[in-house]
Amino acid sequence: MKKVLLTVLLVALLSVALFAEKTITVAAGAVGIELELARQAAAEFEALFPGVKVNVLDTPDMVQDRLGLYLQFFEAKSDRVDVYQIDVIWPGDLAQHFVDLYEYGAHDYAPNHFKAIVENNTVDGQLIGIPWFTDAGVLYYRADLLEKYGFDGPPKTWDELEEMAKVVMAGEKKNNPDFWGFVFQGNAYEGLTCDALEWIASNDGGTIVNRDQEITIANENAAEILEQVASWIGDISPEGVLAMDEEGARKVWQAGNALFMRNWPYAYALGNADDSAIKGKFDVSVLPHGKGESAATLGGWQLAVSKYSKDPALAAQVAFFFANYDHQKARAMESYNPTIKTLYQDPEVLEAVPFFGSLYDVFTNAVARPSTASAPNYNEVSTLFFKAVHEIISGESNDAMGTLEELALDIAEVTGFEPVFE
Amino acid sequence: MGKTPTGNILKQEQSLAYKLLIPTLVVLALVAIYPLGQVIITSFTNRVFASDQETKFVGFDNYAQLLGVTFKELEPKTDKETGEIIRDDETGQIEYERAIMVLPRTPNRYKELFQFNWFGKRIVVGARDPEFLGAVGNTLVFTFFSVLLETIIGLFLALVVNSNFKAKGLMRTTMLIPWAVITVVSARIWEWMLQPGTAGFFNMIVYRLGLSDGQASFLTNSALQMPTMVMVDVWKTAPYMALLLLAGLQMIPKELYEASEVDGAGKIRQFFQITLPLLKPSLAVALIFRTLDALRVFDVFQVLMSSKMYSMASYNYFQLIQNRAMGLSSAVGMIIFVIIMIFSIIYIRSFGVDQT
Amino acid sequence: MRRQTKKKIKKVLFWFVVIFVFVYLIFPFYWALNSSFKTENQLMMTPATFVPRDTEGNFAPTFENYKSVFTNPTFLRAILNSTIVGGVTTIIALIIGSFSAFALGKLRFKGKKLFLYLVLSMTMFPQVTVLAGLYAVINTLGLSAMLSMILSYMIFTLPFTTWVLTAFFKELPVEIMQSAQVDGATAFQTFYHILLPLTAPAMVTTGLLAFIAAWNEYLFALTFTSIETQARTIPVAISLFTGKIARQEPFGEIMAGAVLVTIPVVVLVLVFQKKIVAGLTAGAVKG
Repeated sequence: MKKVLLTVLLVALLSVALFAEKTITVAAGAVGIELELARQAAAEFEALFPGVKVNVLDTPDMVQDRLGLYLQFFEAKSDRVDVYQIDVIWPGDLAQHFVDLYEYGAHDYAPNHFKAIVENNTVDGQLIGIPWFTDAGVLYYRADLLEKYGFDGPPKTWDELEEMAKVVMAGEKKNNPDFWGFVFQGNAYEGLTCDALEWIASNDGGTIVNRDQEITIANENAAEILEQVASWIGDISPEGVLAMDEEGARKVWQAGNALFMRNWPYAYALGNADDSAIKGKFDVSVLPHGKGESAATLGGWQLAVSKYSKDPALAAQVAFFFANYDHQKARAMESYNPTIKTLYQDPEVLEAVPFFGSLYDVFTNAVARPSTASAPNYNEVSTLFFKAVHEIISGESNDAMGTLEELALDIAEVTGFEPVFE
Repeated sequence: MGKTPTGNILKQEQSLAYKLLIPTLVVLALVAIYPLGQVIITSFTNRVFASDQETKFVGFDNYAQLLGVTFKELEPKTDKETGEIIRDDETGQIEYERAIMVLPRTPNRYKELFQFNWFGKRIVVGARDPEFLGAVGNTLVFTFFSVLLETIIGLFLALVVNSNFKAKGLMRTTMLIPWAVITVVSARIWEWMLQPGTAGFFNMIVYRLGLSDGQASFLTNSALQMPTMVMVDVWKTAPYMALLLLAGLQMIPKELYEASEVDGAGKIRQFFQITLPLLKPSLAVALIFRTLDALRVFDVFQVLMSSKMYSMASYNYFQLIQNRAMGLSSAVGMIIFVIIMIFSIIYIRSFGVDQT
Repeated sequence: MRRQTKKKIKKVLFWFVVIFVFVYLIFPFYWALNSSFKTENQLMMTPATFVPRDTEGNFAPTFENYKSVFTNPTFLRAILNSTIVGGVTTIIALIIGSFSAFALGKLRFKGKKLFLYLVLSMTMFPQVTVLAGLYAVINTLGLSAMLSMILSYMIFTLPFTTWVLTAFFKELPVEIMQSAQVDGATAFQTFYHILLPLTAPAMVTTGLLAFIAAWNEYLFALTFTSIETQARTIPVAISLFTGKIARQEPFGEIMAGAVLVTIPVVVLVLVFQKKIVAGLTAGAVKG
């Protein structure tokens, strides 16, 4: 009896609420400042549009858990969340659950953002997500150590990186057995896809699957650079790099135990914290290249509107609001890389985060993972890819070309595309 | 012996029994029937998780994909000109052709699982899903060692706490600590302690002792991975076993021990003659549940190993979330169920737990 | 003389094992405690230190992790949620389980084996497999997050309590029950007043283990509390601890949270276990 009464009461309250007030729920990150800024933006929207309540829902920071959660919602076709913060690799796979933002006014906003990201977020001509903030892989280097050992500046090629690492390590290891040359994301997970794509693309090895839906990964250049990376393990990179993710690499780097690190820009501010062992001793540059040009993998997050939302038009307005110039600027001051091109020339932003200026080129030329090209199976493709790469660099496979050929066949099986063998 | 009950009392007992069982059956119906039913049905389809894609009935395809194996013989490589068998320069061992040449590709692709020698021939075992079979193997090995160690340590703890040894109080407190630490956090603590580099405790110790340069990578070294997983799991589960066995020990009347001491039996004799037999039922139940838990292990594998080494349950998770292959992951769930069912029946029969 | 040395060796061996087990079980917790007083940069220091130290080697603990955890309302509410969910789950599982255990262990009826296997089979699937189905059931029934968790945790606690208590009930001598029946007690009265107190240690142990299983559960809790964030339990709350910037993982805070949650649980169990057992056995009939 009590339960019936309670249900009736709840329904009554709910209907009153629905008619009196609209609620838009935004599933955003859980991270300290990120969440605060999101809540601020929500409050501002509510002030501008009385009668609308904007809820910010925090979700797990671990990408695996967040994706799992989202999938549960989609499976249940839940209308409880209207706006989703999605990873740059999700638009392809999850497109069927989101509305086309071009139908809700995105044509006004999209041109302000980086073209590469907008393209990445477009599936079959539909804009799945409005870019929110972006990320790209960069090379961190210890300027003080390079100077000490007589090098002019950061390495331009992978061979130079290897050489510098060997020289500095020979000198530093005597006093510090924990010192290594290069740390990166070598664990078998999506992060390895990012790093490996950078190696391969910068050695003219292609981008796994190209725009024409051909599988190009099984080529000599890719095998060559992967074999080179395999030779670094135990030599200029610790064996533990095979289990490192972003934080794992940063721990070694920030303690002063690495000459080079490949990571996302977030580590910059953290490295300059007051009690950091490397404060003021490092800088960032574009990643080295091999036979081709330097490549940085595109990261970042977008905002997408759920198809199952009760009011997609309003939800789209909230999404655009959160991703507009002012809010992206507020985030930029906290080191979140904006996606609106003009912000990279804004004097206030450049004063707060000086290295954004040098990163402009990196972001405009970032390489996207083939998420849209291999949709809706990108996750599977990426898993096959990072597993194969991990096998090669860990030495589990001593036939890089053979492994890549098998990989191409595996991807062909999943996607139905044609593999291209040299 | 007691009196033989009359028909009436028997009927009363039966009706009371059924009444007492109703709550459990209600809970079962609520939480178990739909989810489990859905798993069984979905395992025969090609359903994609969170997708509009049409679901088709595929019969036993998923199972065939997971369990399909084949055996093929590998021919030794021969020199094209001389026709002689090529041997490795250093080891002198025969070089065989690559497995990928021999294993079938259409209509289904078989990948190499492992190779072995059989009466002078080299056989390669191909599987359609070597990762799954690897996960099954990992889980079985893990279960064996984990349950073995946790039973030994757990029994030791329970005996100490149940006795009059001076260490009793200390052990009781010690026992409760791993048990009380949140499981996912305990995996993180161990991950932290196992770090490569001397920021990790184990590496720091061997480095301080001068035994190595402190750069051992426990979680990527294939020889160290399984022992590490077992060590981490036993830390958390030995207290469970200890608590269960302790309760069983406490049910054994002390008079039996006193009587046998009077008869001059030593502690070890007492253990084998009194403790073990009377502990058998509790030990049986404890083993069943601990083995079930070990076969379903998920947390430690997901946190520490993610995609580097799968257990059956973590493989299941990755198939569902990464590949969204709901049909396939349901089939994985069913296979796990069957394996666990087999284990349970073996246990129950050997210990005679289901004897009325 | 030889007997004496043999005894001494046995004693030394015994104490050696005791110390080994002690260190194995306690040390990771100590390491968590140690880490909880370190700042992020102290945590990265190589080689790691047994107590928090600064770069000069002086003892320098920090309390900012604990401060952060104490001022985290999600975490504090999570402790309450976990206690409620764990407590209710355990009590229900014990009550229902002991009913079934009494029937299975002491009464005579057809279908015992079938029932036992049926109950056990509930727990033979890994949680991951039943997650999607359960979520659908929860949504259809429209249950609140707390209720969903309590109900779902029955999947692994109920078979456990049923089986363990059945084993204990079976152990109890038939004579006690029969003499009570001679005295005119109904089966239920026998159960409640006589058998139940006798299995007190088993009930307490089973209850503790069931409680801790619910307390530690992560996967179901994460999914069911995704919208109703105020119902989050401790494992979920801890996993949502984040640093100030994306991707930063606040290891010190996570350790502080874990320590804060572990110590009271251990203390409570130590203090109350004896009392609970004594209380339950106080109603036992002697002789």
